[in-house]
Amino acid sequence: MKARTLATQVALPVIAIAVMTAPSRAADFDWMKFKGKTVTFLANNNPVSQALLTYKADFEKLTGMALKVDSYQEQQMRQRLVTVMNADSDEVDVFMTLPSREGEQFAAAGWYGDLTAMAKNEVAKDYDPNGLSQALLKAATFGGKLTSMPMNIEGPIFYYRTDIFKKCGLEAPKTIKDVEAAAEKIKTCDSTVTPFVSRGLKPAVAYTFSNMLHNIGGSYIANGKSNLCSAKGKEALDTYSRLLRDFGPPGVVNYSFQQISALYRSGRAAMAFESSNELRTVMEGGARLKDTGLLPFPAGDAGQVPTTIGWGMAVSSHSKQPDAAWYFVQWATSPEIQKKMALQGIAPPRPAVAEDPEYRKWIDEEPVRKEWQAALDVLATKGSSEVGYPIVANPQSREFIGQAVQDLILKQKPVDQACADADKALDALISLN
Amino acid sequence: MSDTAATLTQDRQKLEMAALAAPAVVFTVAMIAFPVVYTIWLGFQTFSSAGKQSFAGLANYSKLISDAEFWHGLWVTIALYVLSLTLQLVFGIWLALVLFHAKRLPGIVRSLFISPFMMPPVVAGMMWLVILDPSLGAANYILQWLGLPPSDWLASPSLVIPTVALIDSWQWTPYVALIVLGGLQSLPPSVYEAAQIDGASPFKTFQRITLPLLLPTIVTAAILRSVDLLRFFDIIYITTQGGPGNASNTLNIYGFRVGFEFFNIGYASALMLTLTAIVFGAVLAFNRLRGAVAW
Repeated sequence: MKARTLATQVALPVIAIAVMTAPSRAADFDWMKFKGKTVTFLANNNPVSQALLTYKADFEKLTGMALKVDSYQEQQMRQRLVTVMNADSDEVDVFMTLPSREGEQFAAAGWYGDLTAMAKNEVAKDYDPNGLSQALLKAATFGGKLTSMPMNIEGPIFYYRTDIFKKCGLEAPKTIKDVEAAAEKIKTCDSTVTPFVSRGLKPAVAYTFSNMLHNIGGSYIANGKSNLCSAKGKEALDTYSRLLRDFGPPGVVNYSFQQISALYRSGRAAMAFESSNELRTVMEGGARLKDTGLLPFPAGDAGQVPTTIGWGMAVSSHSKQPDAAWYFVQWATSPEIQKKMALQGIAPPRPAVAEDPEYRKWIDEEPVRKEWQAALDVLATKGSSEVGYPIVANPQSREFIGQAVQDLILKQKPVDQACADADKALDALISLN
Repeated sequence: MSDTAATLTQDRQKLEMAALAAPAVVFTVAMIAFPVVYTIWLGFQTFSSAGKQSFAGLANYSKLISDAEFWHGLWVTIALYVLSLTLQLVFGIWLALVLFHAKRLPGIVRSLFISPFMMPPVVAGMMWLVILDPSLGAANYILQWLGLPPSDWLASPSLVIPTVALIDSWQWTPYVALIVLGGLQSLPPSVYEAAQIDGASPFKTFQRITLPLLLPTIVTAAILRSVDLLRFFDIIYITTQGGPGNASNTLNIYGFRVGFEFFNIGYASALMLTLTAIVFGAVLAFNRLRGAVAW
């Protein structure tokens, strides 16, 4: 297990990235090479793809190709993908993917086309594959194969109301204990607001809980076994669920990003732990623009180990035209397009774009954007892409994490039983890996 | 023309008609049969988390017996079915009687009464999700305005099934009412005239005449709603995704997640075929009942 992990998660990604640094045939590159072809793109209809597709006509003009977009909400997109891939169909050439969630699973099923050679040999002069976040490239490399190119960088960050903190005599929290103390104080100081809100919906919990677990110093797996019942695991489960149970909104077990953003934006939550992608939604209408502070999630015993993920663009292994599909992936993840997307609030997975003067000017326009970028910089440098168990059945592992948290929020089990039940179910999943 | 020639012409015409109809018949049968046969075949396969497929025989079906989540899903499905069907039949008959007797009700009011079932269930689910949000929703605001304690609605393991049943009943009661209203309008006036001459009270008339005569119509409405209710999916998927915990995890939701989120298409197919058998069973039972109450 250890040797395999070392090979797949450390050595092979390094080789894959090293291969990309080899001299490319950029001089021969011709954007019009596949003129007249049609590329089908299965997109998750989220802000990332929406920002990208604003420039769809530019791609078609540059390449002479037609781009057919098949866009769905996230879960429906996966449903469509599962159907298409199980039928070995070539209907989809390029699809959006979350390597942190389904990467192991899709790679094991052989659904990803291998981009390693194309990222080396078929690149335009200004593409600069090495300029993409190495952490995200590594997270998208399975068994030595580069499976997707990062479109954005994101992760859960901590939103807090500076006016309420000031009114209650609180400083910005530096540790998880500070968050608990602030929630306690706000509960008495301003009873009209919900002190703390984060994800409580079962399948959505792992996204934010993982950050809490890692900050506290816990891990999902130790010695090949599920590790939620370790002291750190229990502390993370207890702290996360207690914050939501004692200081969260009623009905928090059904809360995902939509409810959290709506609650915070309406001024009815003092602290929210939610995705960096939600900044635009939270700031809609401008009510929270001047009274919001942003931070990476405060430190635990292990410091700050933020969750850092990103959507990627993958070429289907069943595509009959992977080379043309790669041209679209390359265009979509190029510095030029990622800069344009960044100016629409999509955090760029390229450090150079984040330093671009035009982007910096946009960031400097609002203090909240500066704090957002500062938090993202921490995510980019310290982040972990582990959301749920690093196993093929990652999506199913998230169910059991969410179940344990919900059992505690609803007081249906004590922490010892909730973690033991989760560990038992998760050990069965790990054994299938 | 001789008899033999006439017979030959008739036979030829029949053949021509059969040939013309054949493509449509073959297409229709294939469209119905292929997914069913394919799902039956999938039910005998097993898929690993990575999507690797192998023949499993009856393993998926024997796994059902020991799967606690299957039995829980079955219980949730039946609880939701019984509660929703009861609410929809009782209130559907009541609404039909109101619409039947209130003949001066303006058309627009009648249309409003029956409009919920024209709304896509996803839209209805989203609307009720907002209304029932314990923090921001109108439902708790109204309860508190009336001096009543707020409720967790869809976030409470004990309230989620009644709440989902209420949402579904809000949407589909008018549909039942429309069917029953059709039945009421077709009842023979002579029996009511006879009851009136005999001095029967309105309640006795309803109990002894209207209800028995309406039974075949009510059973038809129950059959139509049973098929939908046993396959309960959209409103739950939008509002709770089977939660909190697994309190609203119906068989259909469970099967969907097993298939499309955990990629075990084989076990999901076995689950869905079992659910299909339950739906068939319910429809057959109601059909027998309809035969018994026909007049």
